[in-house]
Amino acid sequence: MTDVPVKIEHEGKWVVVQASIGEDRITFPAPANKEVIFKSVFDLEEKKSILIIAVKGTPDTVIRLASVEKVLIVLKRLILAGCNAYRLMAYFMSPAIRGGVLAKNAQWEKGSIVVVKTGIWFVSASKQICIPLKDVAAIELTQRDVQGKQTDVVRIDHVESGEVVSSLVLCPLSTLQVLSNYLKDATKGMDMKGNELDAIGQQVAMLVYSGMDSHAIENMLNLPHKQLDEIYDRIIKLGIAEVVIIRREVQLTTKGVRYISDATKTQTNSN
Amino acid sequence: MGTILIVDDTLFMRTLLKNILFSGGHAIAGEAANGEEAIAKYKELKPDLVTMDVVMPKVNGIEALKAIKEFDPAARVIMCTAVGQEQMVKLAIKSGAKGYIVKPFQAPKVLEEVKNVLAS
Repeated sequence: MTDVPVKIEHEGKWVVVQASIGEDRITFPAPANKEVIFKSVFDLEEKKSILIIAVKGTPDTVIRLASVEKVLIVLKRLILAGCNAYRLMAYFMSPAIRGGVLAKNAQWEKGSIVVVKTGIWFVSASKQICIPLKDVAAIELTQRDVQGKQTDVVRIDHVESGEVVSSLVLCPLSTLQVLSNYLKDATKGMDMKGNELDAIGQQVAMLVYSGMDSHAIENMLNLPHKQLDEIYDRIIKLGIAEVVIIRREVQLTTKGVRYISDATKTQTNSN
Repeated sequence: MGTILIVDDTLFMRTLLKNILFSGGHAIAGEAANGEEAIAKYKELKPDLVTMDVVMPKVNGIEALKAIKEFDPAARVIMCTAVGQEQMVKLAIKSGAKGYIVKPFQAPKVLEEVKNVLAS
């Protein structure tokens, strides 16, 4: 057993305790008085350096804890190695593409893929990357050139801080198919038929994806403001976009016109 | 900041790239809708950088890249293609491409790649 300082959420407050980490469990002393056996963990999330551990039991419990990065790395490694999850040994490349640009120095890493209830973890000797399932935008069984040979891989696209990031997983084809099917099933709530939007709607969605604002979209597609608004309504209703900012267009009142006229005169006179 | 030649067979993608590059402070040297036009425009305009679609009619992007590099070995070309065609990367890099972007792309990342290639 190794003792490490952690902050654990207890009765709505964060308390500092010396957690004891063993090979198959972690124990939190009073006032938390909790024990987590790794094999009963069915979900692990990480949000802003807070680990959220879901433990099977009667009833299921959720434990939130924070600590220094070094401790969290050890905890994640132990939990992911021992938890109740779909786990496979694989090579992965994450990120492979970020925002449409190939990631520099992207390399295949040997490690494991651990699929828990709400996310996919890529774990190697140097990395612990979690992709929440709710952020998975696409899953595709495809082929990539690996050491000069066309090889089957699974490509997982996910949204991270507004950027679309692609990761690749490489392992035997039968395992890839199982992984691909599992992930498709877990994210099928986001599937669309593909014909929900007409051509102009698709172009607008593509421009939004590329980071264009309403003004740029109107100019690029030569769309009147009202028509763009209607398309926005449609894509928002379909759940493929959300409102992030509402801007206003204004025109000057008579008082405003007078103000500007006066200001111009002052400038002209002073020049 | 640099002058950029945009090569893509679809007006939509050219317009999108034009907007992205313009927003990043770059000047658009010109546009071409196929590889043949791209080679001619490169020789005429001598831009600082070219964004080149891979799949195009007449002369494709890889052939156009090779021709441009033959004319100007220092040419900076960023290849641009659809998702799933990343296997073209190796061929493009071998043919002298300095960078690679995959459609659909996001403006900040495109600008970052352009900046890196212009600095190279």
